[in-house]
Amino acid sequence: MKHILITGNEAAAWGARLVEPQFIPTFPITPQTECIETLARWKVEGDLPGTDFERMESEHSVMSAAIGAAAVGARVFTATSSQGLMLMHEVLYIASGMRLPIVMANISRGLSAPVTLWSDHNDFLDQRDSGWIMFHAENNQEVLDMILQGYRVAEDPKVLLPVMVNMDGYVLSFTDEPVIIPSYEDVKQFMPAYDPQHTITPDRPVTVGPPVMDEYTDYKAQAHLASRNALTVLKDIQDDFEKIFGRRYHTVDEFMLDDAELVLITQGSMSTTAKAAILEMREEGVKVGLLRLRVIRPWPGEIICKALQNAKAIAVIDRNIAPGKGGIMLPEIVETLYHSNNRPLVSGFIVGLGGKPQTEARIKEITRKLADDLASGRPRIEWNDLEVS
Amino acid sequence: MQPIKSIKDIPELDLFTGGSSVCAGCGPSMGLKLALKVLGPKTVIINSAGCMTLLPLFPNTPLKVSWIHNAIENAATTAAGARHGLDALGFKDMNVVVYAGDGATYDIGFASLSSTAIKNERVIYICYNNQSYGNTGFQCTTATPYGSETKTTPRGKENPIGNTNIHKDMLKLMGVHRVYCATASLAYPVDFLNKLNKAKERNGFSYIELLGTCATGWNFDPRYTIKISRLAVRCGMWPLYEIDDRKLSLNKEFKQLKPVDEYLQLQGRYKQLPPDGVTKLQSLVNEHWAQLNEFNAKRYV
Repeated sequence: MKHILITGNEAAAWGARLVEPQFIPTFPITPQTECIETLARWKVEGDLPGTDFERMESEHSVMSAAIGAAAVGARVFTATSSQGLMLMHEVLYIASGMRLPIVMANISRGLSAPVTLWSDHNDFLDQRDSGWIMFHAENNQEVLDMILQGYRVAEDPKVLLPVMVNMDGYVLSFTDEPVIIPSYEDVKQFMPAYDPQHTITPDRPVTVGPPVMDEYTDYKAQAHLASRNALTVLKDIQDDFEKIFGRRYHTVDEFMLDDAELVLITQGSMSTTAKAAILEMREEGVKVGLLRLRVIRPWPGEIICKALQNAKAIAVIDRNIAPGKGGIMLPEIVETLYHSNNRPLVSGFIVGLGGKPQTEARIKEITRKLADDLASGRPRIEWNDLEVS
Repeated sequence: MQPIKSIKDIPELDLFTGGSSVCAGCGPSMGLKLALKVLGPKTVIINSAGCMTLLPLFPNTPLKVSWIHNAIENAATTAAGARHGLDALGFKDMNVVVYAGDGATYDIGFASLSSTAIKNERVIYICYNNQSYGNTGFQCTTATPYGSETKTTPRGKENPIGNTNIHKDMLKLMGVHRVYCATASLAYPVDFLNKLNKAKERNGFSYIELLGTCATGWNFDPRYTIKISRLAVRCGMWPLYEIDDRKLSLNKEFKQLKPVDEYLQLQGRYKQLPPDGVTKLQSLVNEHWAQLNEFNAKRYV
């Protein structure tokens, strides 16, 4: 174990290094490049002895090669971002449909056009129905830890689905943070050697990905159940993780929720800013808390309901936009609360598109507006954060 | 490996059993059946979406070897991934073989193919070229010959020729990747299988293009699959040659080619090709044949 200052990209590379994948197909895209450059350098320096590092000609081919290698029974890691993830879109469904436990880091970046290099969450939220398990990290330590946990979930026989570990571009990918690098011994204890459930060997011919008829529904139902299983599996994994590494994660991150009347629902790196703002608002007597979505798929609806049982008003802060509809996570939260005994008021705020910074002042402004909404009994959907910046 | 001298030497091994759902007279399926005789049981086929994707139909398969179908444009890179995975797991003796159509090879999958070839991945890529998007009902690809009618290049008042493009010279394109590449025809199985054996022994990428004679799309009596596969070679429409280390070798030489008309007449797709279209097609064939003869046994790319 050692404590070092590294970027989110390097944290993802460290996660991959520690699990010793057999194959890493790559294609560069800003802001993911540093992750694969780090792996390429480690490869030539002899730090990745059992790993094949390959350059592909597109992200589509990255995921295609990942599928080929995972289908024969190899452990695979890769990383991408934004347009690259969109180019993979077709094959993401194939990876999950074939039930291949690939783990991929996605360094989120807004989608063209117009071009932006900065982060928002449209790239990976566009993949939310692809059958992948989707995590979203708040900081660089969590990036590394999510990759370790990701392999455990992906390779669990009750799950066998690919896992995407998302982090915000630039804010995490290019920012140094102190990160604890676990030892290989601890990682081996957490995650024994890969024993693939499905392989292709010379003496055992198998067919992968054939056409089916009515069975299609059964395959999709099984993949859905497997994704739901991940919620249970994840709980056990988090217990193991805490025992070995001493850090505890929960399926959703709850911050000062016990007595909170106003709740902000956030994702990713802006949660750290929001938590700092909440600490200050608490000093002023505002009963505000935060719920951070860190597992997007499978959707932890029941856990979210339980965490929000005392909330009176909720602000869903979406760093994404579904034009013609609004924020993507807002309806997911509203649907979840529809089945809850507690039906708080829910307002939606669309913020931070294309990396527009979210300051503590902005978070306080949203909280004030949420308090107004609660007082007036009228929820709002605010999509233009220019007016308060 | 001993070269196969005659059809009597072709192994009896059959890894392609009955019960597939292909059309009567299907050339590509015959090609795979033949190929597996020399590839053997330690083979994984990587298939791109196309006619052959319907060979296995859950829960049945006519194949006694492994099979991965990914999508249409990525068979080559899926194969590269499978190759790396098998090598990492210690199965270096497995053959990784792509069996992909011409639409998946010439068109949508060309980038994936090119990168896999230039990196010289240990993969045998067989393109079964039925000169169309066959599985979707016979539409034009960039492998479709000049003058062929397809569903997306129908003949009509404004265009009596059908496909007016000249097909991509794929062997030359693959040749510049400095890999072993060759053409093959079902009518010359000994030549085809020897080329496969050659590819098997390479410690790198090989590209073999088999004329995927297609009774349904080309619109001919299914009993003529082999006859048409032979005529294609005899008329110069499908010359048999290979490019090895950038050097060309013609594998079937003829003093005089048969006129293309003899080949065209048997197929509905060329029916009503006007005489000037036939003349143009003949001149294209003559030009290609002259070029192959000029560079025979010389550096070609």
